[in-house]
Amino acid sequence: MMRVVVTGLGCLSPLGNNTNEFTKNLLGGICAIGPVENIEVLQARTKIAAEVKNFSPQKHFTKSQISQMDRFSLLALMATREAVTDANIDFSNGLAERTAIVYGTGIGGQQTQDDNYRQLYAEGAKRVHPFAIPRTMPSAATSQISMEFGITGPSLATTSACASAAHAIGMALLMLRSGMVDVAITGGSEAPITPGSILPWEGLRVLSKTTCSPFSGKRGGMVLGEGAGTLILETLDHAQQRGAKIYAELSGFGMCADACNLVKPSIEGMARAMSLALSDASLVPSDVAYINAHGTGTPQNDPVETSAIRKVFGDHADKLLVSSSKSMHGHLLGASPAIEAIATIAAIQEQCAPPTMGFIEPDPDCDLNYVFGKSQEQEIDSALSNSFAFGGLNAVLAFKRFLD
Amino acid sequence: MSDETTEFIFSALKANAPTPPDTITAETELELIGLGSLEVVETIFDIEEHFDITIPNPGESDDVSTDFKTAGDVVEAVKQLIALSKQS
Repeated sequence: MMRVVVTGLGCLSPLGNNTNEFTKNLLGGICAIGPVENIEVLQARTKIAAEVKNFSPQKHFTKSQISQMDRFSLLALMATREAVTDANIDFSNGLAERTAIVYGTGIGGQQTQDDNYRQLYAEGAKRVHPFAIPRTMPSAATSQISMEFGITGPSLATTSACASAAHAIGMALLMLRSGMVDVAITGGSEAPITPGSILPWEGLRVLSKTTCSPFSGKRGGMVLGEGAGTLILETLDHAQQRGAKIYAELSGFGMCADACNLVKPSIEGMARAMSLALSDASLVPSDVAYINAHGTGTPQNDPVETSAIRKVFGDHADKLLVSSSKSMHGHLLGASPAIEAIATIAAIQEQCAPPTMGFIEPDPDCDLNYVFGKSQEQEIDSALSNSFAFGGLNAVLAFKRFLD
Repeated sequence: MSDETTEFIFSALKANAPTPPDTITAETELELIGLGSLEVVETIFDIEEHFDITIPNPGESDDVSTDFKTAGDVVEAVKQLIALSKQS
Protein backbone atom coordinates (compact mmCIF):
# COMPACT_ATOMS: atom_id res chain seq x y z
CA MET A 1 0.00 0.00 0.00
CA MET A 2 1.17 3.52 -0.85
CA ARG A 3 2.54 5.27 2.26
CA VAL A 4 1.40 8.83 2.96
CA VAL A 5 3.36 11.42 4.92
CA VAL A 6 2.79 14.88 6.34
CA THR A 7 5.15 17.45 4.84
CA GLY A 8 3.61 20.79 5.78
CA LEU A 9 1.64 22.24 8.68
CA GLY A 10 -0.20 25.49 9.23
CA CYS A 11 -2.66 26.81 11.75
CA LEU A 12 -4.39 29.90 12.98
CA SER A 13 -5.86 29.03 16.33
CA PRO A 14 -6.74 30.39 19.75
CA LEU A 15 -3.51 28.78 21.00
CA GLY A 16 -1.29 30.48 18.46
CA ASN A 17 -1.35 32.18 15.09
CA ASN A 18 1.15 29.76 13.56
CA THR A 19 2.23 26.17 14.15
CA ASN A 20 5.32 26.97 16.21
CA GLU A 21 3.38 29.20 18.57
CA PHE A 22 0.57 26.64 18.74
CA THR A 23 2.98 23.81 19.63
CA LYS A 24 4.79 25.87 22.25
CA ASN A 25 1.54 26.87 23.97
CA LEU A 26 0.05 23.40 23.60
CA LEU A 27 2.95 21.69 25.34
CA GLY A 28 3.25 24.56 27.80
CA GLY A 29 -0.32 24.01 29.02
CA ILE A 30 -1.52 27.49 28.09
CA CYS A 31 -5.31 27.88 28.18
CA ALA A 32 -6.69 30.17 25.47
CA ILE A 33 -10.22 30.19 26.87
CA GLY A 34 -11.44 33.56 28.13
CA PRO A 35 -14.15 36.19 27.93
CA VAL A 36 -15.47 36.73 24.40
CA GLU A 37 -13.88 39.91 23.06
CA ASN A 38 -14.31 39.90 19.28
CA ILE A 39 -18.13 40.11 19.33
CA GLU A 40 -21.05 40.98 21.60
CA VAL A 41 -22.66 37.78 22.83
CA LEU A 42 -26.03 39.55 23.17
CA GLN A 43 -28.61 37.47 25.06
CA ALA A 44 -26.41 34.40 25.53
CA ARG A 45 -25.54 33.50 29.11
CA THR A 46 -22.29 32.00 27.88
CA LYS A 47 -19.65 34.72 27.95
CA ILE A 48 -16.53 32.65 27.27
CA ALA A 49 -14.90 31.13 24.17
CA ALA A 50 -11.50 30.43 22.66
CA GLU A 51 -10.98 33.12 20.05
CA VAL A 52 -8.28 33.78 17.48
CA LYS A 53 -6.57 36.97 18.66
CA ASN A 54 -4.38 39.54 16.93
CA PHE A 55 -5.62 38.68 13.47
CA SER A 56 -6.42 41.64 11.22
CA PRO A 57 -7.63 40.44 7.82
CA GLN A 58 -6.68 43.85 6.33
CA LYS A 59 -3.03 43.04 6.89
CA HIS A 60 -3.20 39.84 4.88
CA PHE A 61 -5.94 40.26 2.29
CA THR A 62 -7.08 42.81 -0.29
CA LYS A 63 -10.36 44.66 0.14
CA SER A 64 -11.93 42.60 -2.60
CA GLN A 65 -10.77 39.31 -1.01
CA ILE A 66 -12.22 40.34 2.34
CA SER A 67 -15.50 41.22 0.70
CA GLN A 68 -15.64 37.77 -0.89
CA MET A 69 -14.76 35.72 2.17
CA ASP A 70 -16.41 34.75 5.43
CA ARG A 71 -14.12 34.53 8.46
CA PHE A 72 -13.91 30.73 8.12
CA SER A 73 -12.37 31.12 4.65
CA LEU A 74 -9.96 33.81 5.83
CA LEU A 75 -8.78 31.52 8.63
CA ALA A 76 -8.48 28.60 6.19
CA LEU A 77 -6.34 30.60 3.78
CA MET A 78 -4.05 31.85 6.53
CA ALA A 79 -3.46 28.30 7.78
CA THR A 80 -2.96 27.01 4.25
CA ARG A 81 -0.49 29.74 3.31
CA GLU A 82 1.63 28.72 6.27
CA ALA A 83 1.37 25.01 5.43
CA VAL A 84 2.27 25.50 1.75
CA THR A 85 5.24 27.71 2.65
CA ASP A 86 6.27 25.20 5.30
CA ALA A 87 6.13 22.33 2.78
CA ASN A 88 8.24 24.39 0.37
CA ILE A 89 6.22 22.99 -2.51
CA ASP A 90 5.94 24.28 -6.06
CA PHE A 91 2.68 23.40 -7.81
CA SER A 92 3.89 24.22 -11.34
CA ASN A 93 4.96 21.61 -13.92
CA GLY A 94 1.70 19.72 -13.72
CA LEU A 95 1.60 19.20 -9.95
CA ALA A 96 -1.43 21.51 -9.57
CA GLU A 97 -3.49 18.90 -11.47
CA ARG A 98 -2.12 16.09 -9.32
CA THR A 99 -2.98 17.89 -6.07
CA ALA A 100 -6.27 17.47 -4.21
CA ILE A 101 -7.95 19.83 -1.77
CA VAL A 102 -10.21 18.22 0.80
CA TYR A 103 -11.18 20.72 3.45
CA GLY A 104 -13.69 20.29 6.27
CA THR A 105 -16.10 22.59 8.03
CA GLY A 106 -19.05 21.84 10.26
CA ILE A 107 -21.22 24.67 9.01
CA GLY A 108 -19.35 27.16 6.84
CA GLY A 109 -19.93 30.90 6.72
CA GLN A 110 -21.74 31.42 10.00
CA GLN A 111 -20.69 35.01 10.46
CA THR A 112 -22.08 35.94 7.05
CA GLN A 113 -25.36 34.19 7.81
CA ASP A 114 -25.57 35.83 11.20
CA ASP A 115 -24.98 39.30 9.69
CA ASN A 116 -27.58 38.67 7.00
CA TYR A 117 -30.26 37.54 9.41
CA ARG A 118 -29.64 40.49 11.70
CA GLN A 119 -29.89 42.90 8.79
CA LEU A 120 -32.99 41.18 7.42
CA TYR A 121 -35.03 40.53 10.57
CA ALA A 122 -33.77 43.11 13.06
CA GLU A 123 -32.91 46.00 10.82
CA GLY A 124 -35.48 45.48 8.08
CA ALA A 125 -32.85 45.51 5.33
CA LYS A 126 -34.18 45.39 1.78
CA ARG A 127 -31.01 43.73 0.51
CA VAL A 128 -28.05 41.82 1.94
CA HIS A 129 -24.44 41.57 0.77
CA PRO A 130 -24.26 40.34 -2.84
CA PHE A 131 -21.60 37.74 -1.98
CA ALA A 132 -23.56 36.29 0.92
CA ILE A 133 -24.05 32.97 -0.85
CA PRO A 134 -20.48 32.32 -2.08
CA ARG A 135 -19.17 33.44 1.30
CA THR A 136 -21.47 31.13 3.23
CA MET A 137 -21.22 27.88 1.26
CA PRO A 138 -19.28 25.21 3.20
CA SER A 139 -17.08 24.62 0.14
CA ALA A 140 -16.03 28.29 -0.02
CA ALA A 141 -12.74 27.69 1.82
CA THR A 142 -11.85 24.88 -0.59
CA SER A 143 -12.52 27.14 -3.57
CA GLN A 144 -10.51 30.00 -2.09
CA ILE A 145 -7.55 27.69 -1.48
CA SER A 146 -7.74 26.35 -5.03
CA MET A 147 -7.83 29.87 -6.48
CA GLU A 148 -4.99 31.22 -4.37
CA PHE A 149 -2.61 28.38 -5.20
CA GLY A 150 -3.93 27.51 -8.66
CA ILE A 151 -4.78 23.95 -7.61
CA THR A 152 -6.79 22.21 -10.34
CA GLY A 153 -6.98 18.65 -9.02
CA PRO A 154 -9.96 17.00 -7.32
CA SER A 155 -11.29 19.44 -4.73
CA LEU A 156 -14.22 19.27 -2.33
CA ALA A 157 -15.39 20.07 1.17
CA THR A 158 -16.37 17.53 3.78
CA THR A 159 -18.95 18.20 6.43
CA SER A 160 -19.68 15.89 9.34
CA ALA A 161 -20.12 18.26 12.30
CA CYS A 162 -17.21 17.93 14.73
CA ALA A 163 -15.49 15.24 12.67
CA SER A 164 -15.47 17.27 9.41
CA ALA A 165 -11.70 17.84 9.22
CA ALA A 166 -10.94 14.25 10.25
CA HIS A 167 -13.07 13.02 7.38
CA ALA A 168 -11.30 15.52 5.11
CA ILE A 169 -7.87 14.21 6.13
CA GLY A 170 -9.10 10.63 5.83
CA MET A 171 -10.54 11.21 2.35
CA ALA A 172 -7.28 12.87 1.28
CA LEU A 173 -5.40 9.82 2.54
CA LEU A 174 -7.58 7.50 0.46
CA MET A 175 -7.13 9.65 -2.66
CA LEU A 176 -3.35 9.59 -2.22
CA ARG A 177 -3.27 5.85 -1.60
CA SER A 178 -5.40 5.21 -4.68
CA GLY A 179 -2.88 6.98 -6.90
CA MET A 180 -5.42 9.62 -7.91
CA VAL A 181 -3.12 12.43 -6.71
CA ASP A 182 0.44 12.92 -5.42
CA VAL A 183 -0.25 15.76 -2.98
CA ALA A 184 -3.25 16.84 -0.90
CA ILE A 185 -4.03 20.05 0.92
CA THR A 186 -6.36 19.11 3.75
CA GLY A 187 -7.64 20.11 7.16
CA GLY A 188 -10.52 22.27 8.28
CA SER A 189 -11.78 25.65 9.35
CA GLU A 190 -14.58 26.97 11.54
CA ALA A 191 -15.63 30.41 12.77
CA PRO A 192 -18.64 29.71 14.99
CA ILE A 193 -18.29 32.50 17.54
CA THR A 194 -21.32 34.57 16.61
CA PRO A 195 -24.37 35.46 18.74
CA GLY A 196 -26.58 33.39 16.47
CA SER A 197 -24.35 30.37 16.94
CA ILE A 198 -23.62 30.59 20.67
CA LEU A 199 -27.29 30.69 21.64
CA PRO A 200 -28.26 27.44 19.88
CA TRP A 201 -25.26 25.67 21.45
CA GLU A 202 -26.42 26.99 24.79
CA GLY A 203 -29.88 25.63 24.05
CA LEU A 204 -28.39 22.16 23.66
CA ARG A 205 -27.12 22.50 27.24
CA VAL A 206 -23.57 21.45 26.43
CA LEU A 207 -21.70 24.74 26.92
CA SER A 208 -19.66 25.48 30.02
CA LYS A 209 -20.01 28.91 31.57
CA THR A 210 -16.59 28.81 33.25
CA THR A 211 -13.89 26.76 31.54
CA CYS A 212 -13.32 23.44 29.82
CA SER A 213 -12.40 20.56 32.15
CA PRO A 214 -12.33 17.34 30.14
CA PHE A 215 -12.38 14.09 32.12
CA SER A 216 -12.76 15.97 35.45
CA GLY A 217 -15.52 15.57 37.95
CA LYS A 218 -17.86 18.60 38.03
CA ARG A 219 -16.97 19.47 34.42
CA GLY A 220 -19.42 21.97 33.00
CA GLY A 221 -19.29 21.23 29.28
CA MET A 222 -17.51 22.33 26.15
CA VAL A 223 -16.25 25.77 25.15
CA LEU A 224 -16.61 27.03 21.59
CA GLY A 225 -13.41 27.83 19.71
CA GLU A 226 -12.51 29.07 16.23
CA GLY A 227 -9.62 28.59 13.88
CA ALA A 228 -8.19 26.54 11.04
CA GLY A 229 -5.55 23.88 10.55
CA THR A 230 -4.00 22.70 7.29
CA LEU A 231 -1.87 19.64 6.57
CA ILE A 232 0.06 19.01 3.37
CA LEU A 233 -0.02 15.29 2.67
CA GLU A 234 2.07 13.55 0.04
CA THR A 235 2.77 10.04 -1.06
CA LEU A 236 6.09 8.99 0.45
CA ASP A 237 7.61 8.56 -3.03
CA HIS A 238 6.67 12.06 -4.06
CA ALA A 239 7.92 13.59 -0.82
CA GLN A 240 11.24 11.75 -1.04
CA GLN A 241 11.75 12.56 -4.72
CA ARG A 242 11.56 16.25 -3.99
CA GLY A 243 13.53 15.98 -0.74
CA ALA A 244 10.68 17.21 1.46
CA LYS A 245 10.98 17.41 5.22
CA ILE A 246 8.67 14.79 6.76
CA TYR A 247 6.85 15.42 10.03
CA ALA A 248 5.13 12.08 10.44
CA GLU A 249 3.39 9.32 8.57
CA LEU A 250 -0.40 9.31 8.35
CA SER A 251 -0.61 5.58 8.82
CA GLY A 252 -4.31 4.90 9.20
CA PHE A 253 -7.89 6.06 9.21
CA GLY A 254 -11.05 4.55 10.64
CA MET A 255 -14.59 5.81 10.22
CA CYS A 256 -18.06 4.56 10.98
CA ALA A 257 -21.54 5.65 12.07
CA ASP A 258 -23.44 4.89 15.29
CA ALA A 259 -26.90 4.83 13.70
CA CYS A 260 -28.16 5.59 17.17
CA ASN A 261 -28.76 9.11 18.50
CA LEU A 262 -28.38 12.69 17.28
CA VAL A 263 -26.37 13.87 20.27
CA LYS A 264 -25.61 10.89 22.50
CA PRO A 265 -22.28 9.16 21.81
CA SER A 266 -21.92 5.39 21.66
CA ILE A 267 -19.16 3.27 23.16
CA GLU A 268 -19.49 0.75 20.33
CA GLY A 269 -19.22 3.38 17.58
CA MET A 270 -16.20 5.10 19.09
CA ALA A 271 -14.48 1.77 19.74
CA ARG A 272 -15.14 0.54 16.22
CA ALA A 273 -13.66 3.71 14.67
CA MET A 274 -10.51 3.33 16.80
CA SER A 275 -10.21 -0.37 15.93
CA LEU A 276 -10.64 0.37 12.23
CA ALA A 277 -7.89 3.01 12.39
CA LEU A 278 -5.57 0.57 14.16
CA SER A 279 -6.10 -2.18 11.62
CA ASP A 280 -5.81 0.25 8.70
CA ALA A 281 -2.45 1.34 10.13
CA SER A 282 -1.41 -2.30 10.78
CA LEU A 283 -1.06 -1.50 14.47
CA VAL A 284 -1.86 -3.56 17.53
CA PRO A 285 -3.16 -1.70 20.60
CA SER A 286 0.17 -1.94 22.45
CA ASP A 287 1.89 0.01 19.63
CA VAL A 288 -0.03 3.17 20.56
CA ALA A 289 1.48 5.46 23.21
CA TYR A 290 -0.76 8.53 23.00
CA ILE A 291 -4.35 9.40 22.12
CA ASN A 292 -5.47 12.95 21.45
CA ALA A 293 -9.00 12.39 22.71
CA HIS A 294 -12.19 13.92 21.40
CA GLY A 295 -12.52 14.98 25.08
CA THR A 296 -15.14 17.71 24.79
CA GLY A 297 -15.55 18.17 28.54
CA THR A 298 -19.27 17.42 28.39
CA PRO A 299 -20.85 15.02 30.89
CA GLN A 300 -21.91 12.90 27.91
CA ASN A 301 -18.66 12.43 25.95
CA ASP A 302 -15.90 11.84 28.45
CA PRO A 303 -17.00 8.67 30.28
CA VAL A 304 -18.20 7.10 27.01
CA GLU A 305 -14.87 7.84 25.29
CA THR A 306 -13.03 6.43 28.33
CA SER A 307 -15.04 3.20 28.14
CA ALA A 308 -14.46 2.97 24.39
CA ILE A 309 -10.69 3.33 24.88
CA ARG A 310 -10.80 0.62 27.55
CA LYS A 311 -12.79 -1.63 25.22
CA VAL A 312 -10.25 -1.31 22.38
CA PHE A 313 -7.02 -1.22 24.36
CA GLY A 314 -7.79 -3.62 27.22
CA ASP A 315 -4.91 -3.75 29.73
CA HIS A 316 -2.81 -1.41 27.60
CA ALA A 317 -5.33 1.39 28.30
CA ASP A 318 -3.62 1.98 31.65
CA LYS A 319 -0.26 2.51 29.93
CA LEU A 320 -1.63 5.00 27.40
CA LEU A 321 -1.41 8.75 27.74
CA VAL A 322 -4.74 10.32 26.79
CA SER A 323 -5.29 14.05 26.68
CA SER A 324 -7.78 16.60 25.44
CA SER A 325 -6.19 19.67 23.91
CA LYS A 326 -9.72 21.15 23.72
CA SER A 327 -9.10 22.11 27.35
CA MET A 328 -6.74 24.76 25.92
CA HIS A 329 -7.97 25.63 22.42
CA GLY A 330 -11.67 25.02 22.92
CA HIS A 331 -13.88 23.09 20.52
CA LEU A 332 -13.36 24.34 16.98
CA LEU A 333 -16.20 22.06 15.83
CA GLY A 334 -15.46 20.96 12.24
CA ALA A 335 -11.92 22.35 12.43
CA SER A 336 -11.04 20.65 15.72
CA PRO A 337 -9.75 17.44 14.12
CA ALA A 338 -7.34 19.50 11.99
CA ILE A 339 -5.62 21.29 14.83
CA GLU A 340 -5.81 18.15 16.96
CA ALA A 341 -4.04 16.28 14.15
CA ILE A 342 -1.34 18.96 14.36
CA ALA A 343 -1.28 18.49 18.16
CA THR A 344 -0.88 14.74 17.68
CA ILE A 345 1.96 15.24 15.19
CA ALA A 346 3.57 17.68 17.64
CA ALA A 347 3.36 15.00 20.35
CA ILE A 348 5.21 12.57 18.06
CA GLN A 349 7.74 15.17 16.94
CA GLU A 350 8.51 16.38 20.44
CA GLN A 351 8.06 12.94 22.09
CA CYS A 352 5.84 14.65 24.61
CA ALA A 353 2.10 14.31 25.32
CA PRO A 354 0.22 17.62 25.61
CA PRO A 355 -1.63 18.07 28.90
CA THR A 356 -5.33 18.18 29.73
CA MET A 357 -5.86 21.46 31.54
CA GLY A 358 -8.79 22.61 33.70
CA PHE A 359 -8.69 19.71 36.18
CA ILE A 360 -11.21 20.15 39.03
CA GLU A 361 -11.54 16.81 40.79
CA PRO A 362 -11.40 13.12 39.82
CA ASP A 363 -14.37 11.50 38.09
CA PRO A 364 -14.64 7.79 38.96
CA ASP A 365 -16.04 7.13 35.46
CA CYS A 366 -12.93 8.66 33.83
CA ASP A 367 -10.04 6.55 35.04
CA LEU A 368 -7.24 6.75 32.47
CA ASN A 369 -4.00 8.78 32.55
CA TYR A 370 -5.21 12.11 31.14
CA VAL A 371 -1.91 14.00 31.59
CA PHE A 372 -3.62 16.54 33.85
CA GLY A 373 -1.95 19.90 34.34
CA LYS A 374 1.44 19.41 32.69
CA SER A 375 2.73 17.84 29.49
CA GLN A 376 4.51 14.54 29.86
CA GLU A 377 7.62 13.34 28.04
CA GLN A 378 7.03 9.94 26.55
CA GLU A 379 8.37 7.79 23.75
CA ILE A 380 5.60 8.06 21.15
CA ASP A 381 5.91 6.02 17.97
CA SER A 382 2.21 5.84 17.17
CA ALA A 383 -0.67 8.02 18.24
CA LEU A 384 -4.38 8.33 17.51
CA SER A 385 -6.49 11.44 17.11
CA ASN A 386 -10.16 10.85 17.95
CA SER A 387 -13.12 12.79 16.56
CA PHE A 388 -16.69 11.81 17.33
CA ALA A 389 -19.36 14.03 15.83
CA PHE A 390 -22.95 14.74 16.77
CA GLY A 391 -25.18 12.42 14.85
CA GLY A 392 -22.82 9.52 15.54
CA LEU A 393 -20.27 10.10 12.78
CA ASN A 394 -16.92 8.82 14.03
CA ALA A 395 -13.46 9.36 12.53
CA VAL A 396 -10.07 8.39 13.93
CA LEU A 397 -6.66 9.19 12.44
CA ALA A 398 -3.47 7.23 13.19
CA PHE A 399 -0.10 8.96 12.96
CA LYS A 400 3.30 7.32 13.20
CA ARG A 401 6.83 8.58 13.77
CA PHE A 402 8.39 8.58 10.32
CA LEU A 403 11.01 5.94 9.74
CA ASP A 404 12.26 5.33 6.23
CA MET B 1 -49.38 18.61 43.39
CA SER B 2 -52.39 19.76 41.44
CA ASP B 3 -51.81 23.36 40.51
CA GLU B 4 -51.28 25.23 37.25
CA THR B 5 -47.48 24.99 37.30
CA THR B 6 -47.55 21.26 37.89
CA GLU B 7 -50.23 20.76 35.28
CA PHE B 8 -48.25 22.62 32.64
CA ILE B 9 -45.05 20.70 33.40
CA PHE B 10 -46.81 17.34 33.33
CA SER B 11 -48.46 18.18 30.04
CA ALA B 12 -45.13 19.34 28.56
CA LEU B 13 -43.46 16.11 29.66
CA LYS B 14 -46.31 14.12 28.21
CA ALA B 15 -46.19 16.03 24.93
CA ASN B 16 -42.47 15.36 24.51
CA ALA B 17 -42.46 11.74 25.69
CA PRO B 18 -42.22 9.20 22.87
CA THR B 19 -44.28 6.75 24.95
CA PRO B 20 -46.55 8.98 27.04
CA PRO B 21 -48.39 7.23 29.87
CA ASP B 22 -52.07 7.96 30.56
CA THR B 23 -51.18 9.90 33.67
CA ILE B 24 -48.01 11.46 34.96
CA THR B 25 -47.34 11.73 38.68
CA ALA B 26 -44.51 13.28 40.67
CA GLU B 27 -42.95 9.82 40.92
CA THR B 28 -42.97 9.17 37.16
CA GLU B 29 -39.39 8.49 36.06
CA LEU B 30 -38.47 10.45 32.95
CA GLU B 31 -36.40 7.65 31.45
CA LEU B 32 -39.23 5.13 31.84
CA ILE B 33 -41.56 7.21 29.66
CA GLY B 34 -38.87 7.52 26.97
CA LEU B 35 -37.63 11.00 27.84
CA GLY B 36 -33.98 10.77 26.78
CA SER B 37 -31.51 13.64 26.82
CA LEU B 38 -32.87 15.21 23.62
CA GLU B 39 -36.50 15.07 24.79
CA VAL B 40 -35.60 16.50 28.20
CA VAL B 41 -33.75 19.41 26.55
CA GLU B 42 -36.81 20.10 24.41
CA THR B 43 -39.15 19.93 27.40
CA ILE B 44 -36.93 22.32 29.37
CA PHE B 45 -37.09 24.74 26.44
CA ASP B 46 -40.91 24.61 26.47
CA ILE B 47 -41.00 25.20 30.24
CA GLU B 48 -38.50 28.08 30.06
CA GLU B 49 -40.53 29.77 27.34
CA HIS B 50 -43.84 29.32 29.20
CA PHE B 51 -42.71 30.60 32.60
CA ASP B 52 -40.05 33.00 31.30
CA ILE B 53 -37.37 31.47 33.49
CA THR B 54 -33.91 30.04 32.84
CA ILE B 55 -33.31 26.51 34.05
CA PRO B 56 -29.60 26.07 34.79
CA ASN B 57 -27.65 22.99 33.67
CA PRO B 58 -27.11 20.28 36.32
CA GLY B 59 -24.47 21.38 38.82
CA GLU B 60 -24.56 24.98 37.64
CA SER B 61 -26.70 26.38 40.46
CA ASP B 62 -26.06 26.04 44.20
CA ASP B 63 -29.71 26.89 44.96
CA VAL B 64 -31.63 24.65 42.60
CA SER B 65 -30.95 21.02 41.65
CA THR B 66 -31.70 20.37 37.98
CA ASP B 67 -30.44 16.82 37.70
CA PHE B 68 -33.91 15.62 36.78
CA LYS B 69 -34.83 11.98 37.35
CA THR B 70 -38.58 12.25 37.97
CA ALA B 71 -41.42 14.56 36.96
CA GLY B 72 -41.53 15.75 40.59
CA ASP B 73 -37.86 16.85 40.35
CA VAL B 74 -38.79 19.12 37.43
CA VAL B 75 -41.80 20.61 39.25
CA GLU B 76 -39.79 21.28 42.39
CA ALA B 77 -36.98 23.04 40.50
CA VAL B 78 -39.35 25.10 38.37
CA LYS B 79 -41.33 26.26 41.41
CA GLN B 80 -38.10 27.29 43.13
CA LEU B 81 -36.92 29.13 40.02
CA ILE B 82 -40.26 30.94 39.65
CA ALA B 83 -40.07 32.02 43.30
CA LEU B 84 -36.47 33.19 42.83
CA SER B 85 -37.35 35.13 39.69
CA LYS B 86 -40.17 36.94 41.60
CA GLN B 87 -37.72 37.92 44.35
CA SER B 88 -35.26 39.53 41.95
